[in-house]
This record gives sequence, C-alpha cells and structure tokens, in this order.
Amino acid sequence: MSQSLRPYLQAVRSSLTAALTISNFASQTSERHNCPEIEANSSPEILLNPLHISRNENEKVKIEPSYNSVRISIRIKQADEIEHILVHKFTRFLTQRAESFFILRRKPVEGYDISFLITNFHTEKMLTHKLIDFVIEFMEEVDKEISEMKLFLNARARFVAESFLTPFD
Amino acid sequence: MTITGNLTTATHLHCIPSIVLPVMLLLDYQNALIQSLLTERFSGAPPASIDQVVSDFDGVTFHLSTPESKTKILISINVKCYKELVQYGAQEVLEREYGPYIVSPEPGYDFSVQIDLEALPAEEEARNDLIMKLALMKRNAMAAPFEKAFDEFNKLAEEASRYTSESAPQGIQEGGEVMAIHYREEEAIYIKANWDRVTVIFSTVFREETDRIFGKVFLQEFVDARRRVLTLQNAPQVLFRNDPPLELANVPGLNASGGEVSYVTFVLFPRHLTPQRRYENISHIQTFRDYFHYHIKASKVCGSS
Repeated sequence: MSQSLRPYLQAVRSSLTAALTISNFASQTSERHNCPEIEANSSPEILLNPLHISRNENEKVKIEPSYNSVRISIRIKQADEIEHILVHKFTRFLTQRAESFFILRRKPVEGYDISFLITNFHTEKMLTHKLIDFVIEFMEEVDKEISEMKLFLNARARFVAESFLTPFD
Repeated sequence: MTITGNLTTATHLHCIPSIVLPVMLLLDYQNALIQSLLTERFSGAPPASIDQVVSDFDGVTFHLSTPESKTKILISINVKCYKELVQYGAQEVLEREYGPYIVSPEPGYDFSVQIDLEALPAEEEARNDLIMKLALMKRNAMAAPFEKAFDEFNKLAEEASRYTSESAPQGIQEGGEVMAIHYREEEAIYIKANWDRVTVIFSTVFREETDRIFGKVFLQEFVDARRRVLTLQNAPQVLFRNDPPLELANVPGLNASGGEVSYVTFVLFPRHLTPQRRYENISHIQTFRDYFHYHIKASKVCGSS
C-alpha cells in the first residue's frame, strides 16, 4: 500500500465509523413507512452534513449521513480514457448484481462511480465494523483490479497484433 | 462474511489471469458456408434444389441456386465496389480463376459461375480445390487491385534499378497512382505501388467512443509489434493516424474533418511481394479490417458481464 493511500483509507474508516451510528426511524411524512431518509430527503432535520474525503482530484469519497441511513459514494481513480471505460464496465458489472451485495446502490450519485447505501436494517443484521471493512477492502482492491484489467487489455491487443503480423513472414 | 465473499467472486471474474484466447483467432479467407454447402453437393449426394443467399464480410452477398436443373449450381456474388474492382482488373483475375465456369451475371449480382455436378473433376483433390476456389470468390474479386499494385511494383522496381537515386526521373520516385476501393459504406482501402514498396491504407470508422479507445490500444500494439518482437522484424510496417496520410493527399472525397476516421497504413516491402508470398499475403491483408474490429468487439464482451 502506498504511503498516501494509508492515511486516506484511515480517514475514510474513521469517518464511516462515526457516521454509521444509525438507528431505526419511521417516516414522518407517511404513516407506517420506513425508508432511508438520505434517499427520501423528506426533512432537513434528519440529514447530517455530508463529508468529503479527497486523496486527489480523481479519487474521493463522499459520505452522506442521516438519522437512519448513510450513503457512501466513491470516485475511483481514472488516469486515462481506457481506465475510464474499464471503471465504467466494472461498476456496471457490480451494480447489475446489486442484490447480492445488499448495500450496493443501483445507481451512483452524480460525480461518483459507485455508491453504497447502508441503512439501520443492515447494521442490525450485520456487524458494523465488518461493513466498514468491506467498503475499505473494496477501495483497496478496485484500483488493483482496474490496472490488472488494463494490463490484460494491453496483453490481449499485443497478442492479437502479433498473431496478425506473423503470417507475413 | 457473505458480502466480502461475493465481492471477491465477482471481481475474480474480471481478472482471469491467463489470456483466454478465442478459438478463432485469425479469420478464414474462404466463406465457410459456401464451402460446406458445396462439399455436401459434391460428395455425390442425390441432387437437390438450392436457393440460398449467403452473406460475407463487408456487405458481400452470394446467391447459390439451381435455376435450370438440380445438377447445375449457379453461384453469384454481389460486391459493393465491383465497378471499382473491374477498373483495377477484377474481370481478368476472375476469368483466370474461374475461366470455364463463368456465365453471364445473374440480375442483381455482379459475377456468376455455374458448376455442373455431372461434369466435376474426377479426382477428389481436384474437386476439393474447386470447392476452395469457389469459396474464395470474394477474396479473388478483392485481390485484383492488390495484384495490379504488386505488378506495378515489379515494373517500377525494374525501371528504378536502371537509375541511381539522384538521377531517377520524377515518375519513378513518386510511384503509381493511388487505387481506392470503397468496399464499405464509409470505409475504403487505398493501394499505392512504389519502386521499393507497396502501401496499403485502410480507412476505418469507429462507431462508438469505446471502440475508438480500444482501437487505439490495439493499433498501438500493431505499430509496436515489429519493433518489440524479434521474429516480427520482417513483418510489414504498420502506421496509424487520424488524419489522411500524405499518400492520400491527392485523393478527393476524404473526410478531412478527422475525428472518428482512422487511417491504418501497411507498408509491404519487396520480400512480401515475391511471387511465392504474394497469394498468401493478399489473402491475409484483406482480412485486416474484419480481424481488427472483431477483436475489439471480443475484448469489449470479455471486459464486462
């Protein structure tokens, strides 16, 4: 792990730990409803101040806490247009399978590549510190994954090019 | 924990470490459907009536039919740029290849041959050669401008050998005319012969942004392959750019605005133009555009779900 990644992830971890103190909260606007307030956005008193943590202009995290839910949006590093496409493909792959990830949001918040939505029901069913571990692990892995995909694409292109040029000999 | 478990399985789908190579790496030169159809017909099976339209790359269509009797198979080909090909000598090439079988073209098609099942060559090998030759009809039609350029190269090389580089007349330095084959809606092949090389330029259009970027990665590897791999030192030189290369300076009707059009140049050196290598290299270079786009599409599929 690079030197600047460690404090970045540490900051995200601490902020998430603080933000994930959420509890059940019934809807104030419609009776017998209970929805993530950060999404419903029904009243400003239930929302808390959003937090931005940036490693640089291309890599940042936005944490939007509310009384019963927290939304975490991640912008993944994209150094060039190839990485941009790969990130898009990768996040689409994951969001299309959002049910199996429980906390994954189907659509990222604008300006970010992938969003998670953690509600009080998640923290009741699962261990909060494990949820945080998951988000941190995702952030660690995703960069590695993208650069691996990029290398794979290059290797593939190289192989294709060489195979086409070989018969000319 | 279940979530973490799911994440790792999902991500591992992406990073299959070894290159999972498609079984079909290089494209065939012949049309597989025509080949299998004729193989079946030629095998001595009872004659049956056929009426089949076969599509090939680059909008080429074939029509196989038995209009007169079940033993006479008519094979017609429609090529978008047939007029241009005729201009560059396609008729002669096709006559050379299919001489005795040629009949007048079927309406709506450019060129037709008729095979009489009762007058097939006796030997198995000759029959297979005939099948292959018919399946290569598109290749043969498209080969005409390449053959013309290769002949022109031979002529220019011979002329140039009589001069030193300083005293050579202007005509030889500049080489032959640029032959343009508009074989697709927006894409073309340009061929130009010089005394020391033949230049083949493909113009290609990328429909989507992703294709363009992947195309750039692939083309860069084509360009670098020759420099990097020792065994490819003898391969043609590949260049690519997004504006028309200098060879095409005098060609009218080019989309000069650039952007989505890329030009890929293959420089074929004398060793690629020898009579022994000629046939194979003409076939092979024709498949470049389809091969290139096929692999871009293939890597897009592999990269996502």
